[in-house]
Amino acid sequence: MNDDETTTDALLREFLLGKLNDEEPERIEGLFVTDPQARERVLAVEQDLIEDYLEGTLSTEDSERFVARYAQTVEQRRRLRITKSIKDWALTEARAAQVVPAEVSRWSRLRSWLTPAFVVPIAAMVLIVIVVGALWLSRRAEHSTIERELAQLNAASTGSDISAPHELSPVTVRSATPQVQLDPAPENGTVELRLRWIQPERYSSYQATIHRVGDSESYTVPNLSVSSDGKSIRLRLSPHFRRRGIYQITVSGITSNGTPGPTDEYQLTVGS
Amino acid sequence: MARGSAIPPESFEEILAWLNPDRDVAGAMYVQLRHDLAKLFIWRRCSDPEGLTDEVFDRVAKKVKEIKPAYVGDPRLYFLAVANNLIKENFRKVKTHASLTDIDLSQQPTTEGDQENVDIQDCLETCLQKLSSDRRELIMEYYAKEKQAKIDHRSELAQRFGITVEALRVRVFRIRASLEQCIERCVERKSEQR
Repeated sequence: MNDDETTTDALLREFLLGKLNDEEPERIEGLFVTDPQARERVLAVEQDLIEDYLEGTLSTEDSERFVARYAQTVEQRRRLRITKSIKDWALTEARAAQVVPAEVSRWSRLRSWLTPAFVVPIAAMVLIVIVVGALWLSRRAEHSTIERELAQLNAASTGSDISAPHELSPVTVRSATPQVQLDPAPENGTVELRLRWIQPERYSSYQATIHRVGDSESYTVPNLSVSSDGKSIRLRLSPHFRRRGIYQITVSGITSNGTPGPTDEYQLTVGS
Repeated sequence: MARGSAIPPESFEEILAWLNPDRDVAGAMYVQLRHDLAKLFIWRRCSDPEGLTDEVFDRVAKKVKEIKPAYVGDPRLYFLAVANNLIKENFRKVKTHASLTDIDLSQQPTTEGDQENVDIQDCLETCLQKLSSDRRELIMEYYAKEKQAKIDHRSELAQRFGITVEALRVRVFRIRASLEQCIERCVERKSEQR
């Protein structure tokens, strides 16, 4: 759908509100069920529509059409409430983060700087900021080192001290396949994972993001290699990932224009 | 009112094989197709999207053996055609249940709204913790403004990431979809425990 310039957001919005006639809805529905990128785009436009409804910016007619489609059942109304809760949370957080500058003159600001009662706490604050900044920079450096290490590890076709590969299926596949658990946590060496790729599309390149539940950091590994049958993606994890915990791994196929395509999500438990 | 599908196992296997020769891929396509068809029924204002989706798969299951060998093209379009026929057949049953006053989200009847709003808030906090900080921040930034202000804000945000507004929207949509799914499951669990 990306190449189809006739399918604009405005057209998709009319489709979602049931305003289109003739063959257009059938064409969009066909794309929706067969083209994953088109599906994501329609759903993204739908999200905008929901947002506009919650903000009260739809016209009366559109609002009525919206209600007839998106608020019929208890489940639909629940989904609307959930979306509203996310929006409200984001607005509150963003407002809290905004610093309202006080309207004071340059002179009075200067005077307050020069008063010893303020100079000392400010100096202490500056010191804290420097220390926190240094810590932050050190963490960023560590983060970059780990990402570089992961990139090198995954770029190599072979490697020493690599354990036997572990097969992982996406968490969305509700099969009897148990999720992989590394217990006890591996003491040394590299862990190799084979991530089963169940999306029907194949890509020339894949990228993984690894995130340990409860941690704020996430690590991105680009250019992952694919098995010869194209059914799984190889991901090697450096010793840093021996820490006990649940790791969420998201793999995206990279489309020809360089943007991430559909994703599969995996879960790995290290330690009990 | 979903009544559950009663597809015989051999027909189910036929359907999977028709969708894709790789069983895992076919399984994922099957699940996706179910979601997509249910969504289409919602868009067409059908009152029982899940039940109608079951009906589509039941109908295809009955014919899959004879259709499969001669059918040319993406099989998902065949399912779509069956769904469209079903909508036409059920046209008179298609109803709209809600009026604007029914869904004032801030003034829901106590039984449906109040407890659920409490649950949603709890679950939102739990599920936000499961997101990585950069994803959480992106969601927060994306929804930081409303109405007209959000347009400029989002294009600034897209510029900062070096992507188009459309790509940003899809990126946020994916995060939000998984967040909403997490909240929905959490709310369901809470209501089952009561």
